[in-house]
Amino acid sequence: MKKLLSKAAAVCCALALSACGSGSKSAVTPPDGKLDKCTLRFSWWGGDDRHEATLEAIKLWNELHPDIGIVPEYGGWDGWTEKVSAQVSGGTEPDVMQINYDWLITLSPDGTGFYDLGALTDTLDLSGFDEDMLSFGRVNGRLNAVTVSVSGRSLFYNSDVYARLGADYPATWDELLALGGDFRSADIYPLDLDIQSGGTAWYLAVVYIQQKTGRQFISMDGTLGFTEEDIANALRFYKELEDAHVIRTIQTRTDEDGNAALYQSAEFIGGKIAGVLEWGSTVGKYEAVLGDGVLEAGPLLTDAGGSSGGWMIKPSLLYAVSKGTKYPDEAAAFIDFLLNDKQCAQILGTTRGIPASRYAEESLEASGKLRGLAQESDEQLEAVDTMTVSPYMELPRVKEYCNSAIEKVSYGTAGPDEAAQELSSSITEYLEKIKK
Amino acid sequence: MKKLPVYAVLTVTALLMLYPLLWLIGASFKENREIYSSMWFMPSRFDLSVYRSAWRTGTGFTMGHYFLNTFRVIVPKTIFAAVSSVLTAYGFARFDFPLKKLFFGLLMGGMFMPAIVTVMPMYLLWSRLGLLDTYIPLTLPSLFACEGMFVFILIQFFKGVPREFDEAARIDGCGTLRTLVYVLVPCIRPAIISVAVFTFLWTMNDFLTPLIMINSTEKYTLSLALRISVDSTGQGYEERKVIAMSVIGLIPSIAVFALAQKKFVSGITAGGLTG
Amino acid sequence: MKKHIYRNPVGVSKYTGLLLILPFAVGAVLFILYPFVSSFILGMTDYSGVGEAEFTGLRSYRDMLADSDFTQAAGVTVRYALILVPLKLTVSLLVALLLSCEIRGMGTFRTAFYIPSILGANLAVVIMWQYLFKSSGLVNQFLGVFGVSPVSWYGDSRFAMLMIVLLRLWEFGSTMVIFLTALNSIPREYYEAARVDGCGRVRAFFSITLPQLRSVIFINLVMQTIAAFQEFNAPFMLTDGGPLRGTYTLGMLIYQEMFRYSNVGYANAVSWMLFAAIAAAVGLMFVLLRRKGEDER
Repeated sequence: MKKLLSKAAAVCCALALSACGSGSKSAVTPPDGKLDKCTLRFSWWGGDDRHEATLEAIKLWNELHPDIGIVPEYGGWDGWTEKVSAQVSGGTEPDVMQINYDWLITLSPDGTGFYDLGALTDTLDLSGFDEDMLSFGRVNGRLNAVTVSVSGRSLFYNSDVYARLGADYPATWDELLALGGDFRSADIYPLDLDIQSGGTAWYLAVVYIQQKTGRQFISMDGTLGFTEEDIANALRFYKELEDAHVIRTIQTRTDEDGNAALYQSAEFIGGKIAGVLEWGSTVGKYEAVLGDGVLEAGPLLTDAGGSSGGWMIKPSLLYAVSKGTKYPDEAAAFIDFLLNDKQCAQILGTTRGIPASRYAEESLEASGKLRGLAQESDEQLEAVDTMTVSPYMELPRVKEYCNSAIEKVSYGTAGPDEAAQELSSSITEYLEKIKK
Repeated sequence: MKKLPVYAVLTVTALLMLYPLLWLIGASFKENREIYSSMWFMPSRFDLSVYRSAWRTGTGFTMGHYFLNTFRVIVPKTIFAAVSSVLTAYGFARFDFPLKKLFFGLLMGGMFMPAIVTVMPMYLLWSRLGLLDTYIPLTLPSLFACEGMFVFILIQFFKGVPREFDEAARIDGCGTLRTLVYVLVPCIRPAIISVAVFTFLWTMNDFLTPLIMINSTEKYTLSLALRISVDSTGQGYEERKVIAMSVIGLIPSIAVFALAQKKFVSGITAGGLTG
Repeated sequence: MKKHIYRNPVGVSKYTGLLLILPFAVGAVLFILYPFVSSFILGMTDYSGVGEAEFTGLRSYRDMLADSDFTQAAGVTVRYALILVPLKLTVSLLVALLLSCEIRGMGTFRTAFYIPSILGANLAVVIMWQYLFKSSGLVNQFLGVFGVSPVSWYGDSRFAMLMIVLLRLWEFGSTMVIFLTALNSIPREYYEAARVDGCGRVRAFFSITLPQLRSVIFINLVMQTIAAFQEFNAPFMLTDGGPLRGTYTLGMLIYQEMFRYSNVGYANAVSWMLFAAIAAAVGLMFVLLRRKGEDER
């Protein structure tokens, strides 16, 4: 019986793995002697501005390469992970995909889930990226994806509220903690941290400990770098922020905002919450609800001695090629166009963040398209010695463990030490399981 | 005059029921900041151009296109579901046959399993049949009465019709199918209509299955198109446009219900139990 | 072995019924049996959605019982079903009674009362609920009039659960429609006879309406129990399962394990546990409530 079942399981999984390939076969008439005539499927998620710009860019591509058609497949973020997971497990994914950072681990745990782009450098020019940038997309030494843009979280404040209270944006952790006093009497909070999908509460605590100890929370290859004591200290730091009236407790925050994101909260819009920790690439939605120029970037916090380490960056988006594609060279050429082409860069602008490719960035810089909070945040992070967010830290399960620890400490159902012990062992166990 | 209290109760409750819809319509004219900070439905200004841009969407296809796509799924699906569920329920309610218990078990079992579990196996099946990115995965299962819930409802309603009706029909010379069409269906028409209406409404809202099965934006159904501009990971978006799209998207559902609701409560006493 | 005797009308073959359900029989194999078998097999592997899977036998089921997330979610789910189902049946029956009287303009009211169910978990509903239940929301203001101190709706898991129940109660549409359909099939003569006998409205409700509704009460009970056990969307939208996992249902757990945490094997195993629980609950209803009805006909 057991044997039969395992056989059935094998069939089931073979079914799951049977790649159907993609792209349509047609007569090979090389337009420039190198690329085949074909049709490529290209998928991405995003909002209207990204959709419109990308469709426009595809139009330009069609003018340049009439023989290589592009079939766009796009939608909103909701459910997109589910869709792509189904496609990859059925072997029916598009030839070219915009992917999220942690998908590298979930969809290509051993580096063979996507095409090795390192083998396609004939048509994909990687000279616009330095090795650091490329390393984001490597799994097991294979270049699974190329970074589209890089982003990091930094602090942004409601300048109206700070001006009214006569407060300066904090520059050190101590100054941040000290802010709570003045703000308490005004019944305003200087900052907001959450345990939703963003998980900024744990993120800031990680930055604090990383800066203090120089140890990375989870390393790039997926080992827990923090000691149990580090984790306990991170949780204590979080609790201290709550106690000092720098941020709302989880319960107060939930009671006031429900399940809504901060930029959808009446408290934030009304100035009761005067700061946010957010990715430079997506801070626009916070800016938009406050009115022109109200939201301003604040300094990255340092310790009293001015040490500024510990802040993090990560690739916000990457492009990958299906491992089952019939037209790898053509797919690589299309990615090359999206990443490096100057005219294309003008069309796409910053709809996928500030481009990681030097060529695209230069093109945007020259035309004055790099401005605003996203750019300020980018420059701030470039000026300090950043660490890279490990893709393992971005795994939904790991995030959930961390958020849950913060929640318990905030509600007081567990002390920092107890929660740290649990968090440390769950993460260690999970990382081992996932890397196996 | 006696009815006044009834009207009063109904009106007050109806307002409670309708307020979110009212607010939704109001919100389609508001800036994001106004949406998130006020519960009052009335917008500070009316600008109908949002509906023009909502109708155009940001995708190269108008909402009319997505409506047509949706109807191409929903019309066959509703007809399939109604016909196949009636036949199947009739079989279960009125006849005894080999393997009846097994099939009834499968019928009920199909309802007990969380739907998302079947999503992946079905995806792989359709992919092997080469039918992804077509409407077949969305409509074909209805032809096989696979919405256990509908069959279950209809079985119970069939059982409510006295067996003497069938017998009388048989004596009058009606065969199995004619008994169904001329005697039983009229008796349970309200239930059949409610099943059809449920199919329609639930298909309008169904999101995950079309999302997984359909790839080309050109073939998106309305429920997919409504979220095409929603990118919670990105720079944010104009909420009012998404809301305006969803207001437009609600119209068919509300219209279908309003047209059908009379049928839920009509006709049965005349043709039915007392006849 | 005792030979089964097929009780059918005279002249009807024992295959007539089978022929009628033939489409379903084919569909059941393709669309029910096939996914069930693959899900059952997946439930005994450690499949992660991609790559190879290892056969792990019943390990997922053992892990489940040791997994505090699972046991807590199971508790939440059962509690939710126990609170919601009786309330929802009562409310939708009352509304159906109200909406079944034939007065001018009733169609508009029926449509209005169904609209919450059409909206489902639309953004408008989520935002509305926020305005109602946040700490300074309308509900707390209203309670304040009676001197009740503000309730922590979102932040306290007991109240968060109640809030979700209220959302689903407010969406009573489909249950109400089924009641409505059946209410009007009760012959008017019954009520007239009762009135002649001097029976009041309340007595008539208990001695005529309720017994006549027996079979639709059964339908709604079964369907709402299934829906409550599988609840996913309402807590997902309103509370994301929080606070402290107090509204984290099994439906949410399965979804998250399957799609967020790439733990496909485990998610399938949990689904089978949920399947067994629902089957047991509904089976019990069939035994307790249906037998008498079967005999009656």
